[in-house]
Amino acid sequence: MNFWNFVLAHRAEIFSRTVEHLLLVAAAMFAAVLIGIPLGIALVRRHNLRRWVLGAANVIQTIPSLALFGFLIPVPFLGGIGARTAIVALALYALLPILQNTYTGIAGVDPAVLESARGMGMTPAQILWDVELPLSMGVILAGVRVAMVICIGVATIAAAIGAGGLGVFIFRGVAMVSNAVILAGAIPAALLALAVDFLFGLLEKKLAR
Amino acid sequence: MAAYLTRRNALTLLGGTFAGLIGCRHSRQSKVVVGSKNFTEQIILAELLAQQIETHTMLLVDRRLNLGGTLICQQALLAGQMDLYAEYTGTALTAVLGQPSSHDAETVYRAVHDAYRDRFGFDVGPPLGFNNTFAIVVRGEDAEKLRLQTISDLAPLAPHWRAGFGYEFMERSDGYRGLSLAYGLTFTAAPSIMDLGLLYRALKERKVDVVAGNSTDGLIAALGMVILEDDRHYFPPYQAVTVIRGGALQAHPELRAALDALGGKISDADMRQMNYAVDGDQRDPAAIAREFLRARNL
Repeated sequence: MNFWNFVLAHRAEIFSRTVEHLLLVAAAMFAAVLIGIPLGIALVRRHNLRRWVLGAANVIQTIPSLALFGFLIPVPFLGGIGARTAIVALALYALLPILQNTYTGIAGVDPAVLESARGMGMTPAQILWDVELPLSMGVILAGVRVAMVICIGVATIAAAIGAGGLGVFIFRGVAMVSNAVILAGAIPAALLALAVDFLFGLLEKKLAR
Repeated sequence: MAAYLTRRNALTLLGGTFAGLIGCRHSRQSKVVVGSKNFTEQIILAELLAQQIETHTMLLVDRRLNLGGTLICQQALLAGQMDLYAEYTGTALTAVLGQPSSHDAETVYRAVHDAYRDRFGFDVGPPLGFNNTFAIVVRGEDAEKLRLQTISDLAPLAPHWRAGFGYEFMERSDGYRGLSLAYGLTFTAAPSIMDLGLLYRALKERKVDVVAGNSTDGLIAALGMVILEDDRHYFPPYQAVTVIRGGALQAHPELRAALDALGGKISDADMRQMNYAVDGDQRDPAAIAREFLRARNL
């Protein structure tokens, strides 16, 4: 079947799969940011943990997605089949860049600035919120941006565990040996990644100003 | 000067000898090319065919394994780039010949055999024995407890069961839609559609209760699962056969006897076991094939 014919005939499904895809990414990114940024800050305070946590995040990044799903199926609460498992896997993949950049950003704040903040009598909480986070926001945001783009690409494998998303077209196309069907999933996913990257670029520019 | 000439003469002589040796080797020992598609079972089958030829003829075998699918194998055979490979009758009939399948194995075999001979000049050998078709698979303990033997036995229970199917099974005309009509199978919850390799795990972990796999998947036996008999003969036959280029058979008539000896020798269970040895135990396909041929005195 011709690509455009397929897209026209399936535009409603392509739209709903795109929404599904975005929801998976949004849920996974929410979890990854919620865990990654506090953990990244904690690593600056606790140097001895750093090697282990970043090492673990690196290892997770190297596990092939189908294998990761395989490990997750028997896990209670987090695993099983369906959207939950896919979100857990995506969040794990998104963790490394967020963690790494948060650590780098906070650790890179000039010690002289911290010294004078302390000299002014600021509490540790004030220093974090009013000095460290604003100064490292650009680096942290860059990490979230990379994680987001990775997440949109990787979310196509959610279809392997029955979680839907644009990967459904890719898996279906492979089974049917139809390039048109594969492209109906791959092209919207690529466009999404570009669009999100562009929006983050705007946001970063705004913050830099 | 004299020394130079001598050396040059010596070189010429040496070169001539090499050329002669290569020429001789070429004319005396000719090669056949055995191919395969890109999945485990095909690679094992290609090894079986290749080793059978190596043991029973003087021919050398060139292996072209992991070719990307049916159509590439077909094209390679037509172009004379490849001499033989293992194909499945159902695939040959629907994908290569573009004809609707039938549910009778003998009819499908004859249709493929005759059309391949008339249209392509290919010889289709006798079925190797096993049938790699879709299979409805349940956990062994459920089958025992509920006395499930056939897909018909499953039909009354189906509304309460959770099904998991692969993308291929959902899309193909001989997959889910026809099956649910043929057996009146209805599941209350929509089937989970996911990757076939993960489906077996999900079945084992009780996340789903029934899945559709392939009848020769090694994991079925390894995970203690049971195939329900297709008692209404819904799934079309996919018997494995050897397809040989007519020209190759003319040039090397001894191929026929060597390959026909494999006819009917590989059962579904044999193929499942060999597939599992490679996929599950990570063993070498060539070694698995060698052991099988030796154990059967082939």
